[in-house]
Amino acid sequence: MKTLVFGAAVVALVHITPTVILVKRQDAVAHLLPGADQFAARELHLSSADSKELHDAVGWEPPDGVVTFYVGKHQDQTTGALIFMRVDCQHGPLELAIGFGPEGTIRGVEVTKATVEMKPWVLEALRAGLTDSYRGLANDQAPAGAAKVKPQIGAMPGYMAELIDKGVMHANAAYRLFYR
Amino acid sequence: MLYDLRHSDLRVRWLVTLLLATLGTSYLFGAWMVGLYAGFSATKVAETYGPAGEAPMAMQMPPDTTIVTERPVSMAEMGEEQHHVDMNLLVQDTHVHMPMYAVIAACLSVIALGLAIPRWAGLWIIALLFAAPWLDFAGMWLTKLVSPGFAIVTLAGGWAMALGYAIVAALAIYQMWWRKP
Repeated sequence: MKTLVFGAAVVALVHITPTVILVKRQDAVAHLLPGADQFAARELHLSSADSKELHDAVGWEPPDGVVTFYVGKHQDQTTGALIFMRVDCQHGPLELAIGFGPEGTIRGVEVTKATVEMKPWVLEALRAGLTDSYRGLANDQAPAGAAKVKPQIGAMPGYMAELIDKGVMHANAAYRLFYR
Repeated sequence: MLYDLRHSDLRVRWLVTLLLATLGTSYLFGAWMVGLYAGFSATKVAETYGPAGEAPMAMQMPPDTTIVTERPVSMAEMGEEQHHVDMNLLVQDTHVHMPMYAVIAACLSVIALGLAIPRWAGLWIIALLFAAPWLDFAGMWLTKLVSPGFAIVTLAGGWAMALGYAIVAALAIYQMWWRKP
């Protein structure tokens, strides 16, 4: 009986909390692709060699081999691109929206989803100005937002900032290597 | 029979009734959630757990060279998340849900032990209760790794779960509150 109770307690403790929307995807698109009134989904089904190249670059590759960029256009002129990126950790998934300007630098980053448990940590990191440091970042530069905000925030918000850095790094590498 | 639910203390019958009611409610919401995120047809389940963004049975292997496709989308389409369970999420789901399913199957099995039914029927019900989650997750993994055709195994697991619960709940409620020889 003790084992059963212990088992049930462990199950309850390790259960990942539900996902919450921090920013609606449509709002993220409006913020990160301003002025665009036409959109296209550019799907890249990566070859093994390209997946390996991406993995060698940043230690990550899309689990199903597909990277999707959403391209924004106005009067047939590209105004930028956006990618949704998921970052997993033991507390659950985070979803980021990373927008690129037409010149290839980062226009902005939004955290669109987190879990109930992670939400206050993420919000603390965002309030400390985490995403400000990504604006204008070239696609061959490593994001360093976490290092900037860590002195002002707690340990778990700092960990969230590291995860967001990681997601931005993955998006940057995908853009640099494959966005044409 | 290890114990007899029919003649058990009122508190035990009350506990079992509330447990069954709570599990039944969570099962109803579970079915609702399945309808929202995966669907009840083999095609829908295969789309959810099979290779992402690809027609079932196609492009399970990476292409020789990277293939780029582009299609117009509306703002609304970008806002809609295509719910797809990739390998990482399936690992997480299996890790989180299998222990919970085991606890639920164990609870229902303990109730089944108190039912006035033949020994062989008890064995079958317990087997069904534990087979259901195994079928459910085996189907998801086989759909992911082998073929979208295995989505039918996940459907079978879901229906087996509902059937196991329905049998135990119906017999327990009937025997505890109506049939009292």
